[in-house]
Amino acid sequence: MTVREFLSDRLSRMVLQLICAGLAALFLFATGTPSGILAILFLVLLLIFISAQLFDFFRQRAYFRELKAILDGLDRKYLFMECAPRPKGLYERQLFHLARQAGQAMTGAVSDAQALQREYREYVERWVHEIKAPITATRLICRNLDGDVRRKLMAELAQIEAHIERALFYARAENPEQDCLFQQVNLENIAAQAIEHHRSLLIQSGIRVETEGLTGAVYTDEKWTVFILGQLLQNAARYRGMEPVITLSAKPLGKQMQLILSDNGIGIPAHELPRVFDRGFTGSNGRKRGDSTGMGLYLCKKLASFLELDLRIVSKEGEGTTVTLTFPTKENLTKV
Amino acid sequence: MSQIMIIEDDPVIREELALLLENEGYTPLQVTEFTNVPEQAAQKRPDLILLDIGLPGRDGFSLCAALRKVVHAPVIFVTSRDAGMDEVRALSLGGDDYITKPYSVPVLLARIKAVLRRSGGLEAADLLEAEGLRLSLTKGSVSAGGKTAELTRNELQILACLMAHTGQIVSRADLMDALWDNQIYIDDNTLSVNMTRLRGKLGEIGLPDAIKTRRGMGYQL
Repeated sequence: MTVREFLSDRLSRMVLQLICAGLAALFLFATGTPSGILAILFLVLLLIFISAQLFDFFRQRAYFRELKAILDGLDRKYLFMECAPRPKGLYERQLFHLARQAGQAMTGAVSDAQALQREYREYVERWVHEIKAPITATRLICRNLDGDVRRKLMAELAQIEAHIERALFYARAENPEQDCLFQQVNLENIAAQAIEHHRSLLIQSGIRVETEGLTGAVYTDEKWTVFILGQLLQNAARYRGMEPVITLSAKPLGKQMQLILSDNGIGIPAHELPRVFDRGFTGSNGRKRGDSTGMGLYLCKKLASFLELDLRIVSKEGEGTTVTLTFPTKENLTKV
Repeated sequence: MSQIMIIEDDPVIREELALLLENEGYTPLQVTEFTNVPEQAAQKRPDLILLDIGLPGRDGFSLCAALRKVVHAPVIFVTSRDAGMDEVRALSLGGDDYITKPYSVPVLLARIKAVLRRSGGLEAADLLEAEGLRLSLTKGSVSAGGKTAELTRNELQILACLMAHTGQIVSRADLMDALWDNQIYIDDNTLSVNMTRLRGKLGEIGLPDAIKTRRGMGYQL
């Protein structure tokens, strides 16, 4: 609040007071009050008037500064009215009261929405756990079938599981804090788990998996990183070319570690590359195959940003794709 | 014969699992009443316990602690939950291994075998015999008609897989699945190379045509 703003706000009141003072002076002058007394009276009045305005200005400014400080300090800004000090004036009190009611309605709506979201997430998690029992049973039953049918069914089952896993992580990504467990993990371990997870897909796709120098440890959440790497492996398997090879390697970058996954698949057209992390973006490759959901990389990006992982994709159409995951150092992690 | 106790509330999974374990040469013990599991375990004395964490009524973790008091058998947790904390908790409560649903059958069998071996409850079936071939898994050698040949790890696995399914056609994908192991990722070419070498070695001991190629389907012993 500047002095100018304050003055322009009070302009009409000041003009009114000036007119009143002028009329009073005119009246006093007409009834024979000496002009010397009038001048003294006028000066005293002016002094009182100015000091009252100054007092108001400083009080209001201090009040707004206080409010501003409270707002800045609040994590959830919509709770502002609950924390703000009660004003003194009648008009402000009424306004304050209304705003507080509105705020309370808002707080209620927000907490309702949060409860709904939490319930939904819990339901999705429970559902995912429940659906795993019939899938396990199906897998066990499949074992009795003969070769070709079994393999086809197993491949379909693996697809179902991949979709379910994405749904689970999508639900978890809403409140990632609840599931994260940052600890030291070996890159080799992460890669082995992700590859093992998708072994049937990789074997069925006839992919040669090569690992190079996967030594070194990183600080991250193991499950989530395995999930991200798993999505990347699935993509590499889906969009494979002739004689597909996937290479997993590690490279130190200063104090950080990089995990690099490169394939010799069909690649991503350059103009689509900036959008691959968009939610629901399938691209021309995905549309050709027809079963792409556009959720995999979106989820990867979302989880990666929470894990403070830098996720980058370089690709050349017809030659292959390279994905680089840069892990933060332990010191740079803000969430340990 | 190792006895494996299956504590699992889903009847389909329980029965299929029992069937699977029976086929693999174990004796399954199905638990259908979940109120007195520790007593049942104490009575039957299994060599290994497969324990589902999400049982009705009782938490699998506390059940594990109770089981630990009455039997010495190793416990493998089976669960559909996959939160990291569960795993830590399961292992700290004396579980010997932890596997999440839906598990793949080879992985489950491998874990069972490994845990049994660690606990000393398994005298590994060392010798496989089929079609006049004798395969020693520990020595990594195959012999026929008095002649012996040494095999590499991959060749050994291929032959063991074929001998375990004597007479049946085993597809390339199944063989690769058997060979695919932690940190050793077999591809099609490697399999072909190993197959050629294995046939060469079988030829040296007088059985060059023991493994037949069934075009488009796989291999057959």
